[in-house]
Amino acid sequence: MIGAGGSPFLYLEFGDIVIYFSPYTLSLFLLALVFTVLVIASRPERQLDIAFGADAYTTKDIGLPEMRFRRFMAIACGLASMGAMVTGDVFDFCLFTSLVGICNVGIVAAVRSRHVQNAAFQYGLVALAGTVPLFGGAAIVAATTGTLSLIELSSTVLPAVPAVVKGFLVLGVMGEGMAPFYAAKAEMFRAPGAPYVIMCSLSSLLIFLRVIEVVLQV
Amino acid sequence: MTGALYSWGLLVVLGSAVIGFTALAVEKDDLHRLLLIDLVEIASIGIIALIGTDLAEALILPGLVVGIAELLALSQIYLMKEDLQDRPVRIPGIEVLQELPAPLILSMILIVYGIILSGFTGGAVAGLGAIFFIAARTRSEDLHLLELASGLSWVLWIAAFFVFMFLPEHWYLALMGAAVGILIKVITKMSLMGVMWETRS
Repeated sequence: MIGAGGSPFLYLEFGDIVIYFSPYTLSLFLLALVFTVLVIASRPERQLDIAFGADAYTTKDIGLPEMRFRRFMAIACGLASMGAMVTGDVFDFCLFTSLVGICNVGIVAAVRSRHVQNAAFQYGLVALAGTVPLFGGAAIVAATTGTLSLIELSSTVLPAVPAVVKGFLVLGVMGEGMAPFYAAKAEMFRAPGAPYVIMCSLSSLLIFLRVIEVVLQV
Repeated sequence: MTGALYSWGLLVVLGSAVIGFTALAVEKDDLHRLLLIDLVEIASIGIIALIGTDLAEALILPGLVVGIAELLALSQIYLMKEDLQDRPVRIPGIEVLQELPAPLILSMILIVYGIILSGFTGGAVAGLGAIFFIAARTRSEDLHLLELASGLSWVLWIAAFFVFMFLPEHWYLALMGAAVGILIKVITKMSLMGVMWETRS
């Protein structure tokens, strides 16, 4: 099979769910892996607020329990993105993508700031709404072709999936990650703690890059 | 499912999803939007269910779990951002819940029916009966026995799966073990959910 991301050179079979590594998925997987390791190793930055009109600034301190929770969420987000990068099953990809959505909300949800929590809530609503086209798209793929395996879907024997369904998948990933649309996420970035918050945007960029391959192959 | 019926079903489900999204766009209250999102979520389960094969049945469960996980996370954030944490949970003043024998009889019926159903569905029905009984009762009890039963039935379930994988000739024993295990697991899990909430607050 020669997929959209080059021909895979390694297959890991778990029953009928096949994980495959092509040049494209491997490089995305490594990116997620490296950043997860960085998140495990690094300490959170301290956000500085500069007081206008005076020669003063304040540092926002992050408590240990909060830091622990957010680091855990960031690592979980990294693991979910790694899974989404290499899986060879459309429905699995959807599950990993919505897991990324939950983790993104979780990373900022522990912050005790009303603005941040409000933004996280709104973003969570969008992510939850995004599961409808996401899972709906995957289900219609299964209904039209009879399979969910990306390897089988890339062969030309199967009937073509309607373009609307591909649109559904992209729309769902946009809802979960909203990579290019930071409208709701901009407020979330007010949350202090740099490496963890950046996991939000990195994971959504990664799932957005992967869905291109999925849609081309379906 | 046949092709024509599938298309019509898809049209109906997508139509209801559109109605749900419209309501979501109009609604401004955060709590109502959370509830509406749950309603819209049903539509995605509906699209999966329309396939009508064993595969669809297997796909619904993870889809449902992810949806519930997101909903739980969002409700927690909602509680945090509205500062609703320290609200005491009280028994609703429904007449059936106040009379002593009524909840006992109702929950017994549910539990017996659940055991007859067995498996995951039976566990859910019987667990509902247990929750109903606990919701109606006023004093608190020791929960260690329930937690123990939950843990042990989990072990039974996993052990049954090991039998499936390594001793396939004893599949009937494994099937019974898994069915009983998941039944008790779901019953205790569901009843613990309500009770632990009550004791914490």
